[in-house]
Amino acid sequence: MLLFRDEEHIDRWCQPRDLVRGETISPEQTWRLAHAWYKDKLKPDWRRHTLEETEALLRSLGLTSAFWNLRD
Amino acid sequence: MGETDIEALARDVRIHLFRETAATAKIPQAPQISRALGRSEPDVRAALHQLAAGKVLILAPNDGNIWAANPFCAVPSGFRVRAAGKKYWGICIWDALGIAAALGADAIVTTTCGDCGDVMTLEVRDGRLARSEGIVHFAIPAHHWWDNIGFT
Repeated sequence: MLLFRDEEHIDRWCQPRDLVRGETISPEQTWRLAHAWYKDKLKPDWRRHTLEETEALLRSLGLTSAFWNLRD
Repeated sequence: MGETDIEALARDVRIHLFRETAATAKIPQAPQISRALGRSEPDVRAALHQLAAGKVLILAPNDGNIWAANPFCAVPSGFRVRAAGKKYWGICIWDALGIAAALGADAIVTTTCGDCGDVMTLEVRDGRLARSEGIVHFAIPAHHWWDNIGFT
């Protein structure tokens, strides 16, 4: 996941790599995602998020398109 | 070593590894973890493999050393994080911000635009994103993130 100046810069990055453009989120959404994902990582009783918890997290950030689907 | 023993050691390794990394901004590798915990290096490597299988950390494909104990990266990357008077590295913008979250500290994340290379800065202060610019691009659909986590 990379940070870009704007949408035009993302298109310029994708084109020479033959990459289909993915999805974009704001730095604020990324912070909320990172905070929820990692805030407990240093704690002894940390455990990995379940699939259902991860889906709920993505939904809470408005990430509901097929791109964010975690299942087969 | 039995399965239960490996699981118990993996927990000890995880706790030590993340505490040490947070405190020093350096990810300890198997020899250092072995000495710190008083366990054999092969046992520690077995525990690290179990942690990698559980996606707690990422081992380098060539030498089996820890490449990332997410959100921390073992080697300098394009995502520098200054926090708690130290310099950390993340493997992506998600992890770079994750370092601030994991430490519970104010942080300044410095990276470059993936296209033009301009320096870009995000700042976390008092648990909030206090300064930001740009837009974050996910090139890989979520279901395939772990197919090639280095590229993701």
